Amino acid sequence: MNTSHSNPPKLLLRFFKWFCDPRLHKYLEGDLLELYEYNIEKQGLKKAKWKFSWEVFKLFRPGIIKSFEGTQRLNNYGMIKNYYKVSMRSILRNKTFSFLNISGLSVGIASCILILIYVNNELSYDTYNSNYENTYRVIHYYGEQGAEPNFSSLPTNEYQVWGNAPAAPSMQSFFPEVHQVFRFTSDSPWLISYNGITFSETGILFADSTAFDVFDWKMLAGDPKTALVRPNTVVLTKELAKKYFGDENPVGKTIIMDTEDPFEVTGVVEVPSNSHFFFNGLISMSTFKNRRPGIFDSWGYVDFYTYFTLKPGASIDILKQKVPEFLEANYTDDQNYYIDFEPLSDAYLHSEAGRQPGAIGSIGNIYIFTSVAIFILLIACINFMNLSTARSVERAKEVAIRKTIGSQRSALIYQFLVEAIIITLIASLFAAVLVFAGHSLLETISGKTLPINWLFSIQNVLLGLAAVLFIGVVAGSYPAFVLSTFRPITVLKGSFKASSSGIWLRKSLVVLQFSLSIILLAGAAVVSSQLDFLQKYNMGFDSDQMLVVDFGYDGLVQQKREYIKQRFNNHKDVEMASVSRAAPGDFFPNAGTGITDPISGEIVYKGPAIYEVDEDFIPTYKMNIVAGRNFSDDFPLDSANALILNESAAKLYGYSNPEDIIGKSFEQWGREGKVVGVVKDFNYVSLHEEVEPLSLRFGTRYNVSVFSLKINSQDFSKTLAELESIWQEIIPHRPFDTRFVDQNFNAQYESDERFGMIFSIFSGLAIFVACLGLFGLTIYSTAQRNKEIGVRKVLGATTTRIVALLSKDFLTLFIISLIISIPLSWYVMNSWLDGFAYRISLGFEIFATSALITLLVAFITMSFKTVSAALSNPIDSLRDE
Amino acid sequence: MKNKGLGEFEELVLLAVCILEDSAYGISVKKEVEKHSGRSILLGAVHITLYRLQDKGFLKSELGGNTEKRGDRRKRLFQITQAGMKQLKASQEVRQKMWQFIPQLKPST
Repeated sequence: MNTSHSNPPKLLLRFFKWFCDPRLHKYLEGDLLELYEYNIEKQGLKKAKWKFSWEVFKLFRPGIIKSFEGTQRLNNYGMIKNYYKVSMRSILRNKTFSFLNISGLSVGIASCILILIYVNNELSYDTYNSNYENTYRVIHYYGEQGAEPNFSSLPTNEYQVWGNAPAAPSMQSFFPEVHQVFRFTSDSPWLISYNGITFSETGILFADSTAFDVFDWKMLAGDPKTALVRPNTVVLTKELAKKYFGDENPVGKTIIMDTEDPFEVTGVVEVPSNSHFFFNGLISMSTFKNRRPGIFDSWGYVDFYTYFTLKPGASIDILKQKVPEFLEANYTDDQNYYIDFEPLSDAYLHSEAGRQPGAIGSIGNIYIFTSVAIFILLIACINFMNLSTARSVERAKEVAIRKTIGSQRSALIYQFLVEAIIITLIASLFAAVLVFAGHSLLETISGKTLPINWLFSIQNVLLGLAAVLFIGVVAGSYPAFVLSTFRPITVLKGSFKASSSGIWLRKSLVVLQFSLSIILLAGAAVVSSQLDFLQKYNMGFDSDQMLVVDFGYDGLVQQKREYIKQRFNNHKDVEMASVSRAAPGDFFPNAGTGITDPISGEIVYKGPAIYEVDEDFIPTYKMNIVAGRNFSDDFPLDSANALILNESAAKLYGYSNPEDIIGKSFEQWGREGKVVGVVKDFNYVSLHEEVEPLSLRFGTRYNVSVFSLKINSQDFSKTLAELESIWQEIIPHRPFDTRFVDQNFNAQYESDERFGMIFSIFSGLAIFVACLGLFGLTIYSTAQRNKEIGVRKVLGATTTRIVALLSKDFLTLFIISLIISIPLSWYVMNSWLDGFAYRISLGFEIFATSALITLLVAFITMSFKTVSAALSNPIDSLRDE
Repeated sequence: MKNKGLGEFEELVLLAVCILEDSAYGISVKKEVEKHSGRSILLGAVHITLYRLQDKGFLKSELGGNTEKRGDRRKRLFQITQAGMKQLKASQEVRQKMWQFIPQLKPST
């Protein structure tokens, strides 16, 4: 017999036995073994073994592999075929129900996928960076002078991302773990001219030459290593390059910035849409350094965002621990100052720090959207379950006969599961179409580019199929298990009725659907009324018809500012004109400001925000002075030694009565003098936050960049044209760059509005899906009570009574859902509203309205069927008895 | 079976069975065909073909004795049937006939 050393691999033999047609197996195996022995003799054991495996694998081919038919597997295969056939038949036979199911499910799945696309995009922010994991940014805490706060427990919302210049180089030299440091400034508008065309461009930043080492922005032209090294070089985005250069290669060309300085274009860059900040152009930081070298050593001058990468293996925690040491060695001012680090992965969704470089997302909204997606899908699945169980009586006979013939329960379960999966599959095909149609709409509403190519990876397609299977099984499991329990005897004897437990479950599912719908609708109502509230909120200043002319700190304009103001004032439609550093809603700095303390009498330093304005600013914006006076020409020294505060700032310095702070000494950014006035609080940032302390000082040369014109005009375009001609006459080199304050201000609520819009749309879809289900149930229940209705009509019931009778059941369910959903939605929406400092109070009427709407929609849906049932001729339903 | 004709490979296998007379089974057929045709042949292909030919009625088979080499597995030995022989001959005739009509083979050129 065989010697053990020559035994072929057992595993392979087993594999062969598994796939080989049993009729062939014995002889083929014999041949294989013979060949193996033969090869051992001829070529040695090793080669023989290898050849043997190869031979086995080559046998894995059609003809040798056992067929699915003709063996003991025949039954399963046949059954699956039969499941499919029966399912298709039943889908085609009940066209209404199939239509309701498929349309509900496809809308549900499509909404779910669309939300998934959106959420995925939100989560993908900044992940295009290869250094994503070890890129961090510095967040700064600018405290007051005096007692040091406990920095280790300082919440991140006390910090701001906007910081100073010297932190970056100091960190680079102090921390050996830091690899690359990159700074950029806040954006400002620049005039760009090339070949005689001039535009004012926003979003131009100064950036360190390490930009392309830290961020993976795609350099379309130019050398990323050297592009931002020399002074007076600029890198443009693709869009901007196209605007000025068309199809020309811009690299090496010279553009004129702000009408005087020639800048060399050294690169064209493309920034992915899922970046947490944006720009249109980058100017080399060395340009800035040449212009204002002083601020690069000043720890108090705030205009920089600092990002850095860590060397591989370095830990951010060690850096955090060494921060006190670092500040000890580098920071010399006496103001409280501390830094912390935030990972890039937190920058878009998880950052609470103030003064972000770009619009940030909200993780809360993502949770809300995700739950909406789940709700919609749940509602669609419930539809399916309800409709299937409702129709169980119809299917009961089929089940009974199958059972009598000998079908096992498991086979019936499979039957119904297959049916559910097929419906889900069809629905998901429709859903795919809906997704393609809805995608561009979603892009418009969300204002974002939402890439969908990631959906088509093999992994995701498989995941999608798994999801279809899962939804099918979830939606089909209850009907499958219920229907398969029917006892053939009761059914076939004719005494079968839908069991009471089934009705109970169906009712609770309807309650769940109603509750989810009411929650979503109430949510949408709360969101939209809050947004409405924000729009109409009295900001404390006049933003109506307030035109802002931006001249970007243009030197010539600043020189002629009084003359220009006068010329504007002379125009009949201009009520008043003012010049300032920024208009409400714009960016503004904070300034370390010292004011005499009411108790100790010493100067105390705090960091209120600062506006630099002229004497006409407060009257132009119709703000109210509550104490003291405005800046005035009567006091020529106002431009150097007067300060106006808002009420919050007065309180910040310990003066609860604004009158008391008038005449106190102040020190701020190199000026000393007296506080002359207190202005009533106005909302200059956003209604998400309380009014923050603000100081207003007189803006001198180089510190102002906008005119604010209060217009009172019937014909806006005419007024604008006339103002422009005045402008062009005085300042021919600069375009007349205007915007409206309320537009600008409302832009802050854009993301809220988009959120509200998306939320409302999907809530609407959820209610639509729920209504489809309700409609199906109504069809079913009216059909069940057909005879009852007939008898009632014969006995003299009116149409209204019958409609009421048919709707009564659902009304009860509706009331139960109200009881469940209102507290829930109240809780959820209350916590959403907590994100706003100025918010509506959640009144009864919002819930009443949304409940009423849901009820109305439900009634309309049902009435399609109930009314026609009530109007039908009783003969039709009673004749067959 | 729909197609009663012979494929090229089937013909080779059938011929090999004829040559081997009483000892035609998987490996021997494979070796025989390889020997004459000079190409390497898959064992699986040989088996499929043998069974297909049996289904067509050109071969019959019986279980042979087991040999030590095969680890106790018995051989299935194949023999050609009358129908198989007829088919083989028929296909040979067809070829012969056609060969005659190829002009290049005529001595006069």
